[in-house]
Amino acid sequence: MSDFARAVEQLRPQLMRFAQMQLKNEAWAEDAVSETLLAALERPQAFAGQSQLKTWLVGILKHKLIDQLRKHTREVSSTTADDEADLDEQLFTADGHWRDAPKDWGDPEHCLRQADFFAVLEACVDKLPGVQGRLFMMREWLELDTDEICKELAISPTNLWVMLHRARLRLRDCLQLGWFAGAQA
Amino acid sequence: MMLMKNCREVTGLTLQSLDRELSWQERLAVRLHMVICSACPKFARQAQFMRSAMGRWKSYS
Repeated sequence: MSDFARAVEQLRPQLMRFAQMQLKNEAWAEDAVSETLLAALERPQAFAGQSQLKTWLVGILKHKLIDQLRKHTREVSSTTADDEADLDEQLFTADGHWRDAPKDWGDPEHCLRQADFFAVLEACVDKLPGVQGRLFMMREWLELDTDEICKELAISPTNLWVMLHRARLRLRDCLQLGWFAGAQA
Repeated sequence: MMLMKNCREVTGLTLQSLDRELSWQERLAVRLHMVICSACPKFARQAQFMRSAMGRWKSYS
């Protein structure tokens, strides 16, 4: 095994983690990562060494993930009861006012220098229900715009916004409980 | 379009503004609401923070 092949193989667990977060399906994630490593090993000369190896592999992985999302379009956008749960009912009164006003997160920017915060953020994204999590990651990590997501998954913009809305409310809730509540205690 | 919106509606528009360009009427309605509400500006800051946190997580990870 060449040094290059060994270095590539060592990054498999980290690539698998990204793939799992995006696809929320172990078998699809395995496929995407295997195809990524294969593509890298078939064309090592394409890695010019101008970027870090991991950055280069993540770039390939993103294309493979989109391939997987296309391949499983129907399952990707099939919602579960968890996806359909509406947090708005818990957050707002019937006339649309906050039941409990949002807590002040102070100046949260300093969190972005703490590895612990990213671990909590990652865990919160992981906890999002299937469709919400996939769409949120497509938007925030793959950085696809809403038109692209709608086209890839054959869903309406309204449907997408509803799912992203729910995902962000859940994420906010999770960060409040998992990080900011501790800081406020 | 009604210019006076409640917290639930403004929260929805705040989150949608992360994914699409709001119309000028929607932007005006959000701004008017933010003047009279103490809770929704906090929510808007949280929404913006989550967007930048994901951006930083992306480059960090």
